[in-house]
Amino acid sequence: MIIPISVSPPNQFSQKLPPAVAKLGHDELFLVELQGTLNVDGSETTSKDGQLIGKMNTADMNKPTLLIGHHLLEGKVVNLPKPLGVLHKDVHGVVSPDRHPSDANAGPNSAESEQVSWNVVAVVKKKLVFSKRPMPVAKPVSTASPTI
Amino acid sequence: MTEIELRFSPSAARDTGSFRLIELPPELCQLIDSTAESKSPHPILSIKGHPTEDAVMCTADKTYSLRSVVLSNTVLVLTPSRTDPDGTVHVRDQLHEVLELVSSVPKVHKLPVLLRGMEYDEGDEDRRATLPKFSYEQARSEIQASEFEFNLGLRDRRILVLDGWLRPIASAHLSTILGLLLNYLISLGLSHEAAPVEELVSSLAEDYEIPREVSNQIISWFGVVQEGLWKMDVSALVAEIGLALLGNYKHDPILETEFMAKWKNAVGDAFESVVSLQLLSGNYLRNPNDFSGATINFFPSSSLPTEPAARFTELFLTRQRWKSDEIGPFLSDIVVGSKERDKLLLKYARAMTTPEGTWYTARVGYNN
Repeated sequence: MIIPISVSPPNQFSQKLPPAVAKLGHDELFLVELQGTLNVDGSETTSKDGQLIGKMNTADMNKPTLLIGHHLLEGKVVNLPKPLGVLHKDVHGVVSPDRHPSDANAGPNSAESEQVSWNVVAVVKKKLVFSKRPMPVAKPVSTASPTI
Repeated sequence: MTEIELRFSPSAARDTGSFRLIELPPELCQLIDSTAESKSPHPILSIKGHPTEDAVMCTADKTYSLRSVVLSNTVLVLTPSRTDPDGTVHVRDQLHEVLELVSSVPKVHKLPVLLRGMEYDEGDEDRRATLPKFSYEQARSEIQASEFEFNLGLRDRRILVLDGWLRPIASAHLSTILGLLLNYLISLGLSHEAAPVEELVSSLAEDYEIPREVSNQIISWFGVVQEGLWKMDVSALVAEIGLALLGNYKHDPILETEFMAKWKNAVGDAFESVVSLQLLSGNYLRNPNDFSGATINFFPSSSLPTEPAARFTELFLTRQRWKSDEIGPFLSDIVVGSKERDKLLLKYARAMTTPEGTWYTARVGYNN
């Protein structure tokens, strides 16, 4: 079995990141490292789609902060010892006479009829690390009005 | 704008599991950068292997083994939002592992096993229909090696591609053809630096009914063909003839002097000077014996296990102790570079320094 990996060239039409995080080296993708995981309650697999997690303050990129609920995390920019390639999976149907155009959502059973390919979408050299324990914040401001 | 909203992506369920992080060695990083600039849509990397094997990643000419390293932290992959690119980023995936790449030897050892019973030998046409078959394309997708290394592996293992099927050539038959080639070079008065391929191939086809595709491939294994002229790789060809000769002495050793005489005789006067035991390194064992002179016997590293532990077991069962320059050739096909080789020696063997050099012995007593 061969899984091909292509390099996707930078797409000039896609959205760019806010300038503060784009300084991390790539303007379409960046990495954030956290202790622990983001846990979401809810049985529906789609229930977290588009939901707000928290807010990141990037006023000082030496000391970015991340506010999730009552928790405030302080982070820093870290150079990666080795650059990381970010691979993204592409699933598309095999070209056969009676193919179905929309099987991107097909279940794992149909893996035989799907062709999986991976793209190197970015090479990342820096990441944001929020490694410390979160500080409790008395007044949650995650739903606060924009402050500019 | 200094505040950025983090949100799950609108297609979180579909995105989950669709990202991977992979550590890039510098040379791969360069390769990716240059490919991104040239905007070629061609895949430059591939992951190869049977689901039951450890996966490898191949570039056009190198093989890396893939290893997953678990992280205790979570890494979030974030991309800008389509609707609000200035103030919102989307968490596309949460990852707990990175893939590590370690450069490794191409896993072409499987080829001879897969192709057992498919040898190409004299009088092949009669047997062709009944043979088991294995195609070039099939092997290319199953063998864990880069394109370049795969083709090199076919060449080094003397495997012909006939009508798209892989056929390892029988050693004796190959040796006969090489002998004929050497004879033609002399009798037709051709230079081994630039011999017209067409003339050699036609002669072999007319006089000995050796198919053109066979002789063409054999010629390309032993040298460079450019504009119809063959620049023979003399030492490779001489080594192959020696190897075929040596193959007869697997269990009964032959006197070194006797073997060298036979070998020189087989290659003829013109190439006699090239003959040297060095050419067969990794294929023979030499036993210095004061009584009647040194003897050698056939001991090919290609028939040894590829697992380091198993290989060392076998090596130390064959001989209790090895000199470092003797054991080297039998390890070169399972490790990349001398540094890795020394690591293996450190792990599986015990070094002993004596006045006449370093000896390696087994770490464990296999014999008792």
